[in-house]
Amino acid sequence: MTNTLSVKGLSKSFGANKVIDSISFDVPEGSIFGFIGANGAGKTTTMKMILGLLPSDNGEIFVCGEKVSFGATKTNRFIGYLPDVPEFYGYMRAKEYLQLCGEIVGLDAVVKSRRIAELLDIVGLSGVNKRISALSRGMKQRLGMAQALLNEPELLICDEPTSALDPMGRKEILDTLKQASRKTTVFFSTHILSDVERICDRVAVISGGQIALSGTLAELRTKHKSNSILIKFASAIDKEQFVSAAALLMKDVKSVDMELTLRVTDIEAAQRVILRILSLNDILPLKLEVLEPTIESLYLEVAG
Amino acid sequence: MKSFVAFTKKEFTESLRTYRLVVLAAVFLLLGVMSPLFAKILPELLSGVDLGGGIVITAPDPTAMDSWAQFFKNVGQMGMLTLIITFSGIIANELNRGTLIILLTKGMKRHTVILSKFLSASVLWTASYLLCLTVCYAYTEYFWPASILSNAFLAFFSIWLFGEFLIALLIFGGILFGNLYGSLLTCLGVIVTLSLLNILPYVQKYNPIALAGGTLSLLNAQKEAADFIPVTIICSVMAVSLLVMSIVVFNKKQI
Repeated sequence: MTNTLSVKGLSKSFGANKVIDSISFDVPEGSIFGFIGANGAGKTTTMKMILGLLPSDNGEIFVCGEKVSFGATKTNRFIGYLPDVPEFYGYMRAKEYLQLCGEIVGLDAVVKSRRIAELLDIVGLSGVNKRISALSRGMKQRLGMAQALLNEPELLICDEPTSALDPMGRKEILDTLKQASRKTTVFFSTHILSDVERICDRVAVISGGQIALSGTLAELRTKHKSNSILIKFASAIDKEQFVSAAALLMKDVKSVDMELTLRVTDIEAAQRVILRILSLNDILPLKLEVLEPTIESLYLEVAG
Repeated sequence: MKSFVAFTKKEFTESLRTYRLVVLAAVFLLLGVMSPLFAKILPELLSGVDLGGGIVITAPDPTAMDSWAQFFKNVGQMGMLTLIITFSGIIANELNRGTLIILLTKGMKRHTVILSKFLSASVLWTASYLLCLTVCYAYTEYFWPASILSNAFLAFFSIWLFGEFLIALLIFGGILFGNLYGSLLTCLGVIVTLSLLNILPYVQKYNPIALAGGTLSLLNAQKEAADFIPVTIICSVMAVSLLVMSIVVFNKKQI
């Protein structure tokens, strides 16, 4: 599998402040890559370096095998970019803006009008004839998505595409990303972890200027298996009865209201013991669950 | 080239829809009408005014030169101020708001932005100026037929050139500071500096500011064309240098 984007030993300082400290990661062709980090972690800085809008201090970036250089980089012909807050010309209409973009990219007239019609349809703006200044934030974000996809890029870079949107707007953007990923590799930054779980197949977490965690979601889940079991009881009496009966399991326990979270070494053996104790004491729990590590728990583990 | 045409088209759409075109056209039309009218009416208003104690103002009959004196004064002051205000945000606003980022990441060259903006602003300025000049000329001819204008081309060209210089200056200031104030202050700073330098007699001949107000002396043949050739060349060179510097600075700018 080839890498659409490859970042090697990238560093960037602003004055004495080292924002990016020698980070490396690869985005394989066809993947949806979530670039996770807190506000100010350096996500936008990294993206701007990939786009050649900021010079890097050290390291190399390759897009589709070609090296990125600061300034007017040729690699941008492979890229569609959606900035965190896309700024358009408010006096234009969505279609006019896409026409301007199409002319700048150099699409020929027939291809251009076909692509624009297609994209306006995909992002749900085909019937909208208002000036951009009158569009809602969600609509602007969708227009931003349309312009990024206009030249059928190999790599789609989106900077926090869902951050400022309501749940409906977020869903629309995520759906569009998912749809776009059939034809293009997607690299997007976010701090909304549920978005990552919804559509990403690979992630990298940036924290303190370094990649704290990276890999496919499945890999990360196995590697950071929590070995925890959650039991929710119907009453406090049930809970007390269970705690006294299962004293052996009560080494690493978190107790909140009617819930117990047990951390164990052998998860299967522990499950058998728990079920036996519950049955012997005639306790019917409301819930018994083996906890999967969530992106949130992983994130808090490395970045918290 | 394709992106140059596309971006220039965008610039004209912008001027039209943000009323920049309307403002320029209206102001310069007004200045064109006002100058000869003022020259005609002012002496009539003043003459016969009794200041008391038997002092009565007697104004000489106005001539075409009075009309052109008004023209140069109005365009040189009000006109230039309008030009500065309407074009102060031409690049500063785009940088400040970040509207160029998407287009630049689409592969548009940075020098395209600067050249296209200079071209479209120049076209608007030229058109407004020609409108003003034509109207003023028509009225002046109507009030004072067959008046003689010496060095007409150079006299009218000079103030136009100064306008071009201001546009280049506004672009350079905008690129340098990336906001409206930077652009405005650079422009005003340079004008103030040039005006102060004009106090020195041996600088006057080479000072671009002379183009903005001093060309009436060409029209009424007090001075010769040769007197204005050096400053015309200097101003053109400065305008071109400002554009080149804008491109150089913009290419290195982090956006």
